[in-house]
Amino acid sequence: MTTESDPHLGEAVAARIERRWATLSIAIVGVLVGMAIFIGIDHATMPQGHVETADPKTLHLAGEFIESNLGSAMEADGSVTVRAIGQQYSFTPQCIVVPSGTPVTLRATSADVVHGLLIEGTNINTMLVPGYVSELPVQFKAPGEHAMPCQEFCGIGHQGMWGKVKVVDKATFLGMMASQRRLSCVD
Amino acid sequence: MSEQKLFSFRNPWFGASVGVSGAIAVLAALAGLIWLPMVQPDLKISGIWDAICSAAGVPRTVPRSGGAQQPDFKTSNVVMTSQMLTHPDQVSIGRGATLAQRCAICHGPQGVSDANSPNLAGQYAAVTYKELNDFKAGARVNAVMSPFAANMGNRDMLDLAAYYSFLPRVPSSHLNDNAPAPQIVITGAPMRNIAPCGACHGDIDIKAGSPWLGGQSAVYIKAQLKAFASGGRRNDISQQMRNIARQMTAEEIDAVALYYEAQP
Ligand code: HEC
Ligand code: HEC
Ligand SMILES: [Cu+2]
Repeated sequence: MTTESDPHLGEAVAARIERRWATLSIAIVGVLVGMAIFIGIDHATMPQGHVETADPKTLHLAGEFIESNLGSAMEADGSVTVRAIGQQYSFTPQCIVVPSGTPVTLRATSADVVHGLLIEGTNINTMLVPGYVSELPVQFKAPGEHAMPCQEFCGIGHQGMWGKVKVVDKATFLGMMASQRRLSCVD
Repeated sequence: MSEQKLFSFRNPWFGASVGVSGAIAVLAALAGLIWLPMVQPDLKISGIWDAICSAAGVPRTVPRSGGAQQPDFKTSNVVMTSQMLTHPDQVSIGRGATLAQRCAICHGPQGVSDANSPNLAGQYAAVTYKELNDFKAGARVNAVMSPFAANMGNRDMLDLAAYYSFLPRVPSSHLNDNAPAPQIVITGAPMRNIAPCGACHGDIDIKAGSPWLGGQSAVYIKAQLKAFASGGRRNDISQQMRNIARQMTAEEIDAVALYYEAQP
């Protein structure tokens, strides 16, 4: 009986419970922030660290997404840059060729609406948003062929929007590259 | 207890919760805006301010080694939008009618040709305008047609485009409304990256810059598809039509040519 009538005791219990709840919520927030930091550093997710813009209507006039600059390019540091655009209803280049075991920078954008770029059998998956350049550092482990469907509904012909990625071993790639500045496997 | 003011730093609960929330927010901001950008190896952040701007989404251009590979052929320089030339005015149509007299020998006095030159009557103005521009710029080349566009001014192209879009389409002598549409027109061939022709050319939907094909001669359609496939015609922006034609079989090309010729 005395416990119920003693106001100080009730207050102490309430304060203790409040403190525990507060500690628990702070711990939850802390864990979530820590998780975001961990996956950011571990590259489990690869949010693009910077924003680059490109006018979708004039991609073909000048700049890095003109037709003759699309495809794979050899960089001075031995890495490969692949440039591509998504448009209703195809990717250009339609067939991308890359070397295995080599750092590849994938740079792509859209010429019209939102498209998605997904390479089957890998964790490569990004959206192509008109106005913005999507950049993804990737590396292919082994030679092989991958389908590259558009994974974002982009209009009435969306189901027909498929590209292809051909991974070849590095020596083959260098051989193919020898005679060209930009490479693709479009026949 | 009820006497105590709730929102006051003299209330220890209030002070502690605001303090802790504030500290978490500041730490999270430091991590997200500075630490994470700094540890991204590909980002090449030059300083704290750069990291903050980059993470906050301020657009920046990354300096790249080597310029863009320039084409060794002419590409289209037309900027195509779906709003382009959708409201031609009467003056423009009138001027176009006069200019079009030069074109009548090949494209027909009513914009309908009985040779295998393409029909222009009822063609979308944006298409006629773009093709004339491409002929002039050398992005599309045809020994018969190119000379007629070579000295054309922008105003003339706009007027001709307006005039031809104003002329009514005339069904060809091969008109057959009941001709069954080939699979490729209706559903395309998804595994070969062929969207349905109708998704761009008007039967199902229209993509800006796609010509109306109905009533066009089968010979012309076939010739254009083969030219796209072989790379003989490269004025389609960023290969949008070449990507399709390259994947088509000879039978499919024959079938669509006959089908579109029979359409109104
Ligand atoms: C001597 C014949 C001839 C004359 C005159 C001529 N053209 Fe053409 N035109 C052609 C031929 C042939 C083609 C098809 C070219 C090809 O196969 O690539 C063509 C194509 C075109 C196209 C492209 C149509 C499409 O659907 O892609 C347009 C637009 C055009 N002509 C407009 C004109 C205009 C406007 C004039 C008058 C100033 C004109 N032409 C005069 C023969 C002619
Ligand atoms: C992604 C949209 C798209 C699809 C799908 C498409 N086309 Fe096209 N097509 C175009 C565009 C855009 C052009 C105009 C190219 C240019 O700029 O000259 C064109 C041009 C053509 C031309 C040349 C017409 C002329 O008068 O110059 C033919 C023929 C043609 N397409 C046939 C087809 C056929 C057949 C299919 C189906 C197998 C098809 N297209 C599917 C977009 C498309
Ligand atoms: Cu798409």
